Amino acid sequence: MPKTALKLTIFITLSSMLLLGPIGAAQVQAADKIGWVGPVYKELSASLTKGFKAYYKKTYGKDVDITFVRPGGWPVCLDKVRAWKGKPDADIFLGAGAPAHEVLLKEGLIVPYKPKNWDKVPADWHGMKVKDKGGMWTCFAPWIVTNLYNEKVLKKLRLPPPKTWHDLLDPIYRGNVVHTLPYASGTMHETIEILMQAFGEKEAWKYLRLLAAQLARFSTGSTDTTQLVARGEVPIGIAQPQMNAMAARKDGFPVRDLLPEKTILVPEAVALLKGAPNEKVGKIFLDWLYSDDGQKYVLEGRYFASNTDVQFSKWEKEGVEMAKHAQKALGVDSFWDLQVDFIEYDLDLATKRWDEVNRKYEYEIYRKWGELKSSLFLIEEVEGEIKAAKDAKMNASKAEAKIKEARNLFEYEGNYAAARLAASQARALLVSP
Amino acid sequence: MSRGSISLATLLWIIIAFLVLYPLSILVIESFKIAETGGWGFGNYIEFFQDAYYLKTFLNTMLLSTLVLLTTTVFGVPLAYILARYRHRGKTIFTALILLPIVLPAFAGVFAFIIFFGKYGTVNLLLMEIGLTQEPINFIYGLHGLVFIQALHMLPFIVLGLSAGFTNIDPSFEEAAEVEGASGYRRFFTITLPLCTPSYLAGAVLVFLWPFTDWLTPLILGQVDFLPSVSYINISYHFTDIHRKYMGIVAVVVSSVVCISLFLLARWWVEKKKYTGLSKGTTSEGRVVEPSPLVRSGAYVYMIFIAILVLLIPIVLGLAAFSRRWVFEPFPTYWTLENFRLILLESPGLIKNSFLYSCIALVFGIAFGLPVAYLIVRTRVPGRDALDFVITLMLAFPGIAIGVSYLLAFWEGIPLAQYWIIMPIALFARRLPYFLRMAHSSYLQLDPSLEEASEVAGAGKMRTFFSISLPLLLKGVLVGVVMFFIMAFQEISTAVFLYKGGWETLPIGIYLNWHRGMEFGIAAAMAFLMIVITFILLLIISRIGGGVLKAAWGSGEN
Repeated sequence: MPKTALKLTIFITLSSMLLLGPIGAAQVQAADKIGWVGPVYKELSASLTKGFKAYYKKTYGKDVDITFVRPGGWPVCLDKVRAWKGKPDADIFLGAGAPAHEVLLKEGLIVPYKPKNWDKVPADWHGMKVKDKGGMWTCFAPWIVTNLYNEKVLKKLRLPPPKTWHDLLDPIYRGNVVHTLPYASGTMHETIEILMQAFGEKEAWKYLRLLAAQLARFSTGSTDTTQLVARGEVPIGIAQPQMNAMAARKDGFPVRDLLPEKTILVPEAVALLKGAPNEKVGKIFLDWLYSDDGQKYVLEGRYFASNTDVQFSKWEKEGVEMAKHAQKALGVDSFWDLQVDFIEYDLDLATKRWDEVNRKYEYEIYRKWGELKSSLFLIEEVEGEIKAAKDAKMNASKAEAKIKEARNLFEYEGNYAAARLAASQARALLVSP
Repeated sequence: MSRGSISLATLLWIIIAFLVLYPLSILVIESFKIAETGGWGFGNYIEFFQDAYYLKTFLNTMLLSTLVLLTTTVFGVPLAYILARYRHRGKTIFTALILLPIVLPAFAGVFAFIIFFGKYGTVNLLLMEIGLTQEPINFIYGLHGLVFIQALHMLPFIVLGLSAGFTNIDPSFEEAAEVEGASGYRRFFTITLPLCTPSYLAGAVLVFLWPFTDWLTPLILGQVDFLPSVSYINISYHFTDIHRKYMGIVAVVVSSVVCISLFLLARWWVEKKKYTGLSKGTTSEGRVVEPSPLVRSGAYVYMIFIAILVLLIPIVLGLAAFSRRWVFEPFPTYWTLENFRLILLESPGLIKNSFLYSCIALVFGIAFGLPVAYLIVRTRVPGRDALDFVITLMLAFPGIAIGVSYLLAFWEGIPLAQYWIIMPIALFARRLPYFLRMAHSSYLQLDPSLEEASEVAGAGKMRTFFSISLPLLLKGVLVGVVMFFIMAFQEISTAVFLYKGGWETLPIGIYLNWHRGMEFGIAAAMAFLMIVITFILLLIISRIGGGVLKAAWGSGEN
């Protein structure tokens, strides 16, 4: 009875069509479209979505459908755009700092567009580039790389807030620090760049290895770090956008940001993607983003606004809720009024080694984290024993030389196994020199 | 054997081939691709087992699985024994509570326990307040926390299997041993437990497979060196590093191979060691003991302990959902509906998508499951055992294997993954075996004479199906339908690989709110919302199917 099968097929097809039909029809409705891809936080994307939709409806009398893809931090988003190979599934690269945009520029994945208020964004600030001269990318939400701590928990643990990068290596903070991978967060990537450019490459990697031994764990991204610090699970978070402390304080969490002595500006920027399917709407969005209206939604999205004519005190009177918090967080009336000192930052160098830095950190530190810690802890133990031996007037010179070798292997070579072996040898030398 | 059945079987095989065999073979094929040369070979596998990092994640996962299985067994055996053998009050309610985690989303537990057992969570704050401890105790961050959370989630599978086993044993076996003079313990270990092995193994395999599937719990706890998390990160975070992608695929294939071999091994073991008694037990309840007062109160304390742990999940999430900024306080002090307002206002799409995809998956499930069950039960079409086998095997596949293989198979060539319909299709494929088993058992219970009578009276096969079989089946199937819906509703490990902007479901929304925003509260509220929806659905089936136990497990094994 072949009919049975035929009828069943018809039944299946019909029943699925019945269910799918109305949905297909609903999606045909004409509305303009725009797609964003980028690492900005949820609050900002929500705020911009709300603002741009209202603006679009008011100006063009039409709805605009916004899709926002955020696969992860800057490097993850950048990788997503690369994978589209010039046929992007979005129009705007929304967010991420200068080096990410420079990589996109070098790889020919973005096209220039100077939005209407482009002149209101400074070209550079304290030696840091804020926008591309050719209009390839433009900063819309500047911030500084900071660290974050939970004042309530640090007080409970009777620990002072760490002031400098080197304070963080103090043994009292061991197990109380958290950060993520540079691939997962552009802020972490920039932090590594800061260390490399301020202290030199060798010293920076030594520092990062020692810092890794201080970590309670790795977080999965910069917001995860904020979350962990805000909830007190780990009291100190490394590599945080400056406004995260403001946002968390606004939500009632007892956190403060720390401006480390060596840091940089991150010009969180936008760019128009090459081959954007909705280029026209994309340009409308960019024009709006730098309008007074758009900039207010940036601030309401908990990022600092970039136009030079922005005054928080004026906006506060106009009813922008976040203006008060921004003023309190920064202590000035406009972001650009901040008095800061940055390191000399070589953007070209940072662009060139973008992927290499992410990779090196992951393979040499992250994946060997357990080995790294056990190696360093053994070295520290043996160093303690050598000190005790010297205090007891024993001859420890051979052991001392050996343990120095072990430290060198650990800090500069990153050869944890060899360092461990050398430390064991130093211990043996201590017993029978 | 009619031609109709054969063409039906062919059609179903085509669907299976398209939705299961094709994507999974693509998965395996991709794992043999070498990124550097563009050629083929075993290179990736060799690297996987030689690279210290991948090997470590593999061993970590095996260790975690073993620990979870051990924990669930140690806690599950007495629990199952109490539930099956002791006569006590509140049996139904305790059974329902202990089985609850089956229907709770797996990630719900993580959020609840972070809030409750975190460094500045309720327990630690209370301990410090009364001065028992000076510094917070690390209850959950680490392997121990992972084992705790996963074991609690999987405990019902052990308890269910074992308590069914304890109940079904013919009492005469144990009585015989008693007469022969075997002591209580000896009787338990030499007679009772071996007789329960088959039912234990069925649950144990599922427990052991769980750490190979659950990528999110380790991620939230900051313990990422486990196979599913590493494959997730390799495949979902990297788009141009092809070698890394292949290594992620290798991790998925290795997980699948481990899971399937264990599944088959357990099946083979059960077949080999099949214990059959000649007589059927005298009571449907099995052997029930009247425990001594001391044992009874011990049993109560034990059951209450487990029930409290389980209940913590909905209670803590409920508190978190109706409050904001619940930190540094043992209990929330600021009550609000803000979380729900944000969910309903800003992302109603999540709820809509969840219902839509689950409903469509369900329609596929019914349209596919009933004919398959019919074929297996009512016909002698060649290859029906193979059909049953392939679908049952899907049980053993980690969810991410299906997600990843769909992503690979339906992106280029057959570009199904570019349309949202891929979401319900993936949910359907992932939960297929669950529905099939229920449809299967319903069909078994349907007396063929009714259908025969209809056909004798002149109705065609199709008419018989729609006017006789379907209405009779529906009640039994309905339990399966709701369970299928709940499972699809909670699915994340498959969906997370396939979703695009605008296709997010509630579980993905929970993940994203945790991962990209600072909104722990919203994530908790969404999880709570899912629990409420699940509860309503369960209530519906318990009305139809009768009995909460039945509701939790469907019409089950027979």
